[in-house]
Amino acid sequence: MKFSEIIKNNKALNGQLETPSYKIAILSNIMVHQTKDICEYWLRSDLVNADVLVGGYDNIVQDSHKFKESDAVIIFWETCNILDGLQYKIELMGDKEIDEIAQKVKLEIDIVLKNLKKTSLVIINKFSSLVFNRYSINMSKLNLLENILNEYLEVNIRLNVRLVDIEKIISNVSIDKAIDLRFYYSSKTFYSFIFYKKYFQYIKPMVLAAVGRTKKALILDCDNTLWKGILGEDGFDNIKVFEEIQYLSLMLSRRGVIVGLCSKNNLQDVNEVLDNHPDMILRDKDIVIKKINWNDKVTNLREIAKELNIGLDSIVFLDDSDFEVDLVRSELPEVRVYKVPANEHEYGVLFRRVASLFYSFTNTREDRNKVQFYKDQIKRADVKDSFGDIESYLATLGLKLTIYKDDLSQVERLAQLSQKTNQFNLTTKRYTEVDVINIIKSTDQMLMSFSVSDKYGDSGITGLAVFDFRNSMLDSLLLSCRVLGRNIEFAFMNAIVEMLKQRGLFKIESSYVRTVKNDQVSNFYEKCGFSKNIGLRTDSNIVSSYFIILDDYKNINIDYIEVVYGE
Amino acid sequence: MENKLKKIMSELFDIEVSEINENSSPDNIEKWDSLNQMNLIVSLEEEFNIVFTDDDIIEMVSYPLVKLILKNALHGE
Repeated sequence: MKFSEIIKNNKALNGQLETPSYKIAILSNIMVHQTKDICEYWLRSDLVNADVLVGGYDNIVQDSHKFKESDAVIIFWETCNILDGLQYKIELMGDKEIDEIAQKVKLEIDIVLKNLKKTSLVIINKFSSLVFNRYSINMSKLNLLENILNEYLEVNIRLNVRLVDIEKIISNVSIDKAIDLRFYYSSKTFYSFIFYKKYFQYIKPMVLAAVGRTKKALILDCDNTLWKGILGEDGFDNIKVFEEIQYLSLMLSRRGVIVGLCSKNNLQDVNEVLDNHPDMILRDKDIVIKKINWNDKVTNLREIAKELNIGLDSIVFLDDSDFEVDLVRSELPEVRVYKVPANEHEYGVLFRRVASLFYSFTNTREDRNKVQFYKDQIKRADVKDSFGDIESYLATLGLKLTIYKDDLSQVERLAQLSQKTNQFNLTTKRYTEVDVINIIKSTDQMLMSFSVSDKYGDSGITGLAVFDFRNSMLDSLLLSCRVLGRNIEFAFMNAIVEMLKQRGLFKIESSYVRTVKNDQVSNFYEKCGFSKNIGLRTDSNIVSSYFIILDDYKNINIDYIEVVYGE
Repeated sequence: MENKLKKIMSELFDIEVSEINENSSPDNIEKWDSLNQMNLIVSLEEEFNIVFTDDDIIEMVSYPLVKLILKNALHGE
């Protein structure tokens, strides 16, 4: 299915399902906006009324707090973007530097897991560096970091967390098709649409299990499905048991899946095989229900559902005949139907796909390394309890805000910022490079900008403000979304007010101009203590204007951000 | 081709086909933001079985430009 079709179909399904809404938050340190429609559509088509919210870019820690009430949280935590350009920078780093990065991420993992400890389903992709390691023969440093982090995840996760081995999905579509780096360097998207389709298919059984919509029964045809040949024609001695399929069926049966038979045959012939055929793996005791007769399969499957008291939508049916497969598909669309492949060698792979539909939480518990788990749990308790909230986490980052004023060396970047920033942008005024030069050189105007760094790296110039002395108006104020979620905006506002006070201003004006993209800052000036001018403008639903007496401004206390002034 | 293009844009940007004209750009279409821009590119590539170059993608910032670049891509230029 094409991406545009998914968007269209998903729209059509929106609001159509009567099942309760199932809220999923997708957190990430890359851009994953495409996931919303794909995830919703894939689940809605299985009657889960999914409602997906995509978190902010690179705000996993903050969002783990914000979205902890969701029904499910999915986390894309990409190794290469732990810090910008890590995939190449890391190879020149020393052990100490790498260890610092690992410690930082481990701490973040602790906080995320703590914040999400009551969320009923948390799906975390394992760290992967496959895309950048595909040609390296020796283990690269990126590889090393990935292993350290995965090990940490594995021993620290609680029972509500499922780890996804994302490399399996990447390999299923091939690396080249799974990754689209065209938008990585500009917009930090990483995966292709094709990948996301496979990804959400892959994790769907986890969600279905969580909402109690998991598949419960596997109903198998017999001839050319459990064995090769037709019992009624070829005879007891001439059928050939599909050993792999029967082993896997038995495995499912031992895991609590209902295994049943639905076949057009004579009952006593099939019973003879189940009881006495030397090659059979599945025996009568493993079969919960049998419909061996000459009735049509639709009737038989309906009876099976009724007798077992399960919904038709929890049945998976496997048959080799096009006729039966088509009939069941059209008459009983709720039943998931698979056709035995024409080539015998493909059967095992198909059957494993079928088996994945019977995913249940309890199977995954034994995957975990228990001894290590208990050992580390003791250590972990200390760290976590000391980080109760986001503020104290932010305090560990060593945030530093460097303020610049009228800096001509930044012209290009400042113009670009004003052109590209849509969300945290109070007036959305766009400036060309010439505009920026004029503002900087003019004595009537002032341009303040800043860069943000923390102990792991520097964001570069990521925000600006333009002030006009002629009408005491704060004309522009914007921040790149890369630095949101760290309270930088308030520290910047403190610095702006401080600067204007030094220039002897008494009262300043500002405005918020609503666009379709900047709703998140609609009350920013109120938060900063500005008062709204009422009744001044006729177009007041678009423009809100504010003022503040500078002496009334209360510095917003963010002591974990160090503010310095650049040259 | 133009009809298909308009249809895709109308679905992605939640607008009527008739609302798309030579003046259409991210400035006057609410939902045409940088994220939906990527969705547009992916959708066109799927629909027309083509692959845009990096330069194409940067330049596709208005309806006439999208149309032109799509046309060039289809004719192998």
